[in-house]
Amino acid sequence: MNRTRVCSDIEPEIVASATGDADPTTDERVQRHIGRCAPCADEYQRYRAVEGVVDVIRRAPAPVAAAGRARKRLEASLHDLRHRIMTYRIFPSPLGQILIAQSEQGVSLVEYLGSRTDVRHSRLAQARGVEAVEDGADVEVLYRELMEYLEGKRTRLEWPLDLRLVRSDFHRHVLSATAEIPYGAVTSYAGLACQVGRPTAARAVAQALRWNPLPIVIPCHRVIGTSGALTGYAGDKIGLKQQLLTTEGIRTQKTAVPRHSMYISIPNETFYCLPSCSWIPSAEHPHRFIFFGTRERAEASGRAACGDCRPDLHPLTN
Amino acid sequence: MGQQPFETIMEAHHAEIYRYLRRVTSRAAEADDLSQETFLRAYRAYRALPSDANVRAWLFTIATNLARNHFRAEGRRSRAHAAVSFFRSALDDGTGPEGETLFNEARARVEAVVERLPLRQRLAFILRKIHDLDYEVIARSLDCSAETARAHVFQALRKVRQNLGEPPQMEIQR
Repeated sequence: MNRTRVCSDIEPEIVASATGDADPTTDERVQRHIGRCAPCADEYQRYRAVEGVVDVIRRAPAPVAAAGRARKRLEASLHDLRHRIMTYRIFPSPLGQILIAQSEQGVSLVEYLGSRTDVRHSRLAQARGVEAVEDGADVEVLYRELMEYLEGKRTRLEWPLDLRLVRSDFHRHVLSATAEIPYGAVTSYAGLACQVGRPTAARAVAQALRWNPLPIVIPCHRVIGTSGALTGYAGDKIGLKQQLLTTEGIRTQKTAVPRHSMYISIPNETFYCLPSCSWIPSAEHPHRFIFFGTRERAEASGRAACGDCRPDLHPLTN
Repeated sequence: MGQQPFETIMEAHHAEIYRYLRRVTSRAAEADDLSQETFLRAYRAYRALPSDANVRAWLFTIATNLARNHFRAEGRRSRAHAAVSFFRSALDDGTGPEGETLFNEARARVEAVVERLPLRQRLAFILRKIHDLDYEVIARSLDCSAETARAHVFQALRKVRQNLGEPPQMEIQR
């Protein structure tokens, strides 16, 4: 290939100018130079020719059909990915590190990590069909609301939920019943088993709560043993259960709730009573009782004071 | 965040990114896979992208990184394959411009040279000359300085020019 001898010091500028890649000052300098240097003028023209060919290539018709097919495939993959992705963040809290995750459908996981701060220790890392993506912005709002709840400034977390991490339909059923337990109240595993139509399945109910992916939001801390014992929470975190109940105005003595000094009602009932109310000793399903720590909480749940025992006139003194 | 929905991003940029990847890969299936991976990666990272970011440049950077990784792996598998590029067909989608033009021979020669350029030069050339990206963006995509990116394009143009021989008779269109 014949190479025209060009002035090497200005060659990059000639190339840039001829191919439309130079600023006006460079263009001017190149024009001045090629006006008096024939080999460089020739070289300039050759690069103009290259630019002309490149321009044709640039304007060639787009591969519309193939791009359309690729786009369709992408849309299907993106749909799957969107379904799989759960964004999460790990926050400090009075209950230790808490991981909060959500999908496009709603909040999917609230998990106590203790002192650990790595998602690898989370259920999220083991969940099938889930892609965990760390992202603060959206989850931050949930965290703030959760903190308000833990500080007692908020009594409800009205979040859309994604129950994908719930293990079975039975667990889902149990959690749905648990979500109905009012703020500031407790009931028993056996009572919850009755609520879901499986009166002998208290242990299975306890297991369902153990695997609750949304503690606090679905208030499994409001479920205790029939004796009043706190029994268990998220494995061995009875201390957390105690803290949560205290926030809701429920006193605990050692590791039990003193039910004898609490107001009593039953699910779907419109009144609440003193423990001494006349119907209570003969109640058909005493384990279905719901116990309220304070009258305020019983009334906030929509219940009125019983007309017989009048807890409004004779409140419990603790 | 104030971001556009991701669908809008796909609508605006998918065709161009696909076209770019079709130009730098040797098979349609590769462009298909790489464009898909580009947008899935982008989707995962999109929320964290500042709302004033240049999305087009960002997508080109992701696509270029994926293409480079792909060629690294591909190069290990079969170096021979990489030489068989699909530059021409990628541009034409199987239907050439009507009638033969004066440029056809020159164009075939340019394309043949581009196909055989070292990878970084080829990517820099296509990003700059075909897709008109800034040198800063090309530099980010290729992990180098803007000056090095400019030098890659210069070297590519030099090789193209050397292989083009005499300039064809033509009207310059810009």
